[in-house]
Amino acid sequence: MSALTKLTTVEGKLFAREPLAMFWGLIFPALLLVALGVFFPGFDTPSADLGGFRMIDLYAPIILGLALATLAFATLPAILATYRERGILRRLQTTPVSPWRLVAAQLIIQMVMAGLSAALAIAVGVAVFDIPVPQNLLGFVLVYILAAVSMLAIGLLIGAVAPTVSSGQGIGMAVYFPMLFFAGVYFPREAMSDGLLAVSDLTPTGAGVQALQDTWSGLAPSTSSLLVMAAFAIGAGVLAALTFRWE
Amino acid sequence: MPVIEVDNLVKRYDDVAVVDDVSFTVAKGEIFAILGTNGAGKTTTVESIAGLRQPDGGRISVLGLDPHHDAAEMKERLGVQLQESSLPDRIKVWEALDLYSSFYRNPAHWPDLLDQLGLTEKRETKYAELSGGQKQRLSTALALVGNPEIAILDELTTGLDPQARRDTWALVEQQRDRGVTIVLVTHFMEEAERLADRVALIDSGRLVALDTPAGLVSRADDEQRIRFRPSAPIDESELAALPEVTGVNRVGEQIVVTGVGNVLHSVTSYMARNQVIAYELRVEQVTLDDAFVALTGKTFQNPDNSEI
Repeated sequence: MSALTKLTTVEGKLFAREPLAMFWGLIFPALLLVALGVFFPGFDTPSADLGGFRMIDLYAPIILGLALATLAFATLPAILATYRERGILRRLQTTPVSPWRLVAAQLIIQMVMAGLSAALAIAVGVAVFDIPVPQNLLGFVLVYILAAVSMLAIGLLIGAVAPTVSSGQGIGMAVYFPMLFFAGVYFPREAMSDGLLAVSDLTPTGAGVQALQDTWSGLAPSTSSLLVMAAFAIGAGVLAALTFRWE
Repeated sequence: MPVIEVDNLVKRYDDVAVVDDVSFTVAKGEIFAILGTNGAGKTTTVESIAGLRQPDGGRISVLGLDPHHDAAEMKERLGVQLQESSLPDRIKVWEALDLYSSFYRNPAHWPDLLDQLGLTEKRETKYAELSGGQKQRLSTALALVGNPEIAILDELTTGLDPQARRDTWALVEQQRDRGVTIVLVTHFMEEAERLADRVALIDSGRLVALDTPAGLVSRADDEQRIRFRPSAPIDESELAALPEVTGVNRVGEQIVVTGVGNVLHSVTSYMARNQVIAYELRVEQVTLDDAFVALTGKTFQNPDNSEI
């Protein structure tokens, strides 16, 4: 087995052994969807204000945005900062395998987790609340991958520059909560003022949720949302590659 | 044939030279110890050899390779155990070895390493649940899993209990017998004395001495200490007047004579002439500890002794 395959296998096992990371990264989004539908009255009744949609239909893509944000801003930077602080990256530096492969393995694991978490949330939504499956499925999958890459690139950048585990978590949280806000977790983008919406459009979570929502209902994603995500993916990714410190 | 050549190595942090013009070579198949107190520059020296630090001056060659330009090839053939490097908490012992062995072209059969290091029964144990000594031994195993031609082992027995230390020493000797060149960084005198073919003594970033352990001892001082309890009172001033004697002290009932050259003969002859028997006679050899003090003017501190 190649070093990357083996690293990815081991990183996957390690992730699976972290109950908290598994809960927040994998199960929580589906659970939140159920909780919203069950505990908030009117969440699954069509509303004229929402163009005949139900609140749950709007919240499904928002929850996928939350799933990505959790992995990218909360989980990934903490893991990378831990690996640096504990000398795990440094230890790898003494072997023929570059520590970048460990970073790559982590990104692969986070992508897999993002996929599983979305699949679980959608399956629960379909089964419990009868939400439709994404109508533009191919577009939806591609948008989800782009959104994941753009957010993970930011998580990678935080992990690259945070000197300690606690600062990694601190910076991660400082990004995470505003990103949740702009994704529409606290109130959906449909309820945002024009000014707020314009800002949200420029964030990877806001653009991501919009593009997910568009493709879910069968439309093509807007070019601007794709550009915003691509810009974050490339910008943060390049910055992270330039600034990443191994110790 | 040297496998490591270090020429005039200089490494500065914030304009302070932590390694200051250090040169040495390590021959193929030897156990080479780098000995010094904490902060002497030992670790920085070996980290430069391992390609983890970019020297500010001087030249390093490892197996004829440059640690930076030929890093990938060099790391294939050089195993390194570092201080302050660990593994993820939840990785199991066998997973770590299996993973690290996949990094090398010709890895060792890692179950044998586990066996030699007494870790076989910890195969399924997670890293966080290992004792300090077990973590240390796993770290040693990881440094050797690539079947390296050279192994750099930094403080490999720190935190080990005496039995585990002896096991680790046996493993090091066994590796050497297989032809592996060992660079041992240590602040354990006993370790250097027991294992090393040659010792580089580093103090404040400078190479103070480079010799065999016995050579260092003889170079440091040829003073001897003789202790005994006389069967009858003796005149200390007469003892002190003997030509080879440099000092006489009384400690309780015991007489401690220090001297050079053939001091033992002149003391015992004096005693015989006066028909006094020396009970509990002991001649104390100069140790590497004494050599260290003599060569650096510092007392040797072993912070880890307290952990044993």
